[in-house]
Amino acid sequence: MIHPRYMPLVLKQLVRQRARTVLTALGVAVAMFLFVTVEALQRGVAAATELTGREVTLVVYRQNRFCPFSSRMPDSYAPRIARIPGVAAVVPMKIVVNNCSASFDTVTFRGVPREKAESITDGFTVVSGSLADWQRRSDAALVGETLALRRGVQTGQTLAAAGVTVYVAAIIRSEDPQDQNVAYVDLPFLQRAATRGGDGIVTQFNVLVDDPARLERVADAIDAEFARDAEPTTTRPEKAFVARAAHDLVQIVGFTEYLGLAALAAVLALVGNAIVLSVQDRVREHAVLQTLGFRSGLIARLIISEGVALCCAGGVLGVAAAVALLHFSRFSLSVEGVNLNVRADPAAAVLGLAVAAGVGVLAGLVPAFQASRREIAASFRAV
Amino acid sequence: MSEPLIQCRSLTRTYTRGTETITPLERLDLDVMPGEFLALMGPSGSGKTTLLNLIAGIDRPTSGTLHIGGIDVGGLSRSRLADWRSRAVGYIFQLYNLVPVLTAYENVELPLLLHRMSGADRHSRVAAALDLVGITDRADHYPRQLSGGQEQRVAIARAIVADPAILVADEPTGDLDKASAAAIMELLGRLSREAGKTLIMVSHDPACAAHAGRILHLDKGRLVEHAAATVGAAGVTT
Repeated sequence: MIHPRYMPLVLKQLVRQRARTVLTALGVAVAMFLFVTVEALQRGVAAATELTGREVTLVVYRQNRFCPFSSRMPDSYAPRIARIPGVAAVVPMKIVVNNCSASFDTVTFRGVPREKAESITDGFTVVSGSLADWQRRSDAALVGETLALRRGVQTGQTLAAAGVTVYVAAIIRSEDPQDQNVAYVDLPFLQRAATRGGDGIVTQFNVLVDDPARLERVADAIDAEFARDAEPTTTRPEKAFVARAAHDLVQIVGFTEYLGLAALAAVLALVGNAIVLSVQDRVREHAVLQTLGFRSGLIARLIISEGVALCCAGGVLGVAAAVALLHFSRFSLSVEGVNLNVRADPAAAVLGLAVAAGVGVLAGLVPAFQASRREIAASFRAV
Repeated sequence: MSEPLIQCRSLTRTYTRGTETITPLERLDLDVMPGEFLALMGPSGSGKTTLLNLIAGIDRPTSGTLHIGGIDVGGLSRSRLADWRSRAVGYIFQLYNLVPVLTAYENVELPLLLHRMSGADRHSRVAAALDLVGITDRADHYPRQLSGGQEQRVAIARAIVADPAILVADEPTGDLDKASAAAIMELLGRLSREAGKTLIMVSHDPACAAHAGRILHLDKGRLVEHAAATVGAAGVTT
């Protein structure tokens, strides 16, 4: 926008009003912190709930039940589901949670048959411990990294929640936020340990479909298979299932978009005001620069660059704070046994910085235009 | 005989302030030769600064023509006029008007930022200008760390660094003590004599004006009197 040889002039003008610059940059930082946090929240929700057309996993749930506490189906449904054309694999799953409502600290146990272990551990990275340990002990658990860090448990220790106590055999890392926030245990163990349900009862079936194009047809076929059973089912793609389970949460997160926009509007007003004041203080100085031969357009670009520099300084501070907080606090929103990760990914951080720079440009536009249109001689007469 | 560098014909400048129309300069004719040192004198409101601003290209005539170096300055667009100023005119203000956040060196460097040249060229020209005005040892000082006389020397260095043909000075000694004023006038005289700059200066002080080769008196926007001056080693006679 301006040649680098003019940058010292821009930066020195910001340093000139140190207190005003620092306070404005801090204001920008707070707003950009809020913006990036909201953005991370929305990206977390989008990643967990938006269908991409490449989905191959269905979740079979008890019809008209919306919580793991009330969804109960016999595990004998598994072989009947497996026979439906298009089904590649079926994993019966018992879900036990310590809190069914929305919470930042929900512990979710997922009971899966050991013989199906491969279908769930595919894609896991073992951070510590071993999968062999998990196979050996009946009360062993594979604990997601986020859950382990949040609860402060390590391999070899026990994790207790919802009346279930497990031995941490391994800590695993996964791209899927659901896996990052759960403890996988042996299905029969969880069926015995859980206070609700019992032997032969599961909460849901996770069904792998051989072709994403057949996802809906297979879902309809599964629901049709059990329509006349005592426990009819509702089958949805996994992300649609998460979106339904977290419906209230998704709406609230959607509303936070307005908070992010309000933060941007506040920054715009704050920086705009700071630049207007700064430009008003320098009417004579801009007239001098024009006298030296600085074109009006260059004066305007210098002023806009001040806004950009100010917003970038605050933006870097705010974005770094948001990224650090979200990284180290490992927020995870859980509701009805499904988890939404809140993590500031690089795209959110880059977007935050780009938005900060854009706000800087917008904030500088009006004062830049005003300063560039002033007549030189009139400016000298006015001050 | 060479052509005039500056030619004003029926030069008029009118301002409107509310419902009132003010004419600080009215149908002025003036020729200024290359290398001439011209002083403009007159009471406040006589149109001296208005004429200076028109010649410097920071104001535009309401009517009449102003040709400088063969260019119709009044007819240039805003951008071309800015480019022309950066090449052709150096302005010396009464209150110096240095940028307070920049050092003396950086202030002098400002006009050169507009010209295509290497950093080394820029440095050597700034160093030469600071040397010429005798302020090299204050290059790293900020304006607030300089005396009035030193600030005006920096302002003169800034005015000459791009090697313009014309220097305009609006009461360059108006804010200085006698000793500093004398030193500044000596410097301006030297720039006119030795560097061949065409120098147009507004002054209320007859002693300063007497350094000029020609003195013009203005009153109510009109030229009222011409006086020739000869600069001597010890003083001035008119």
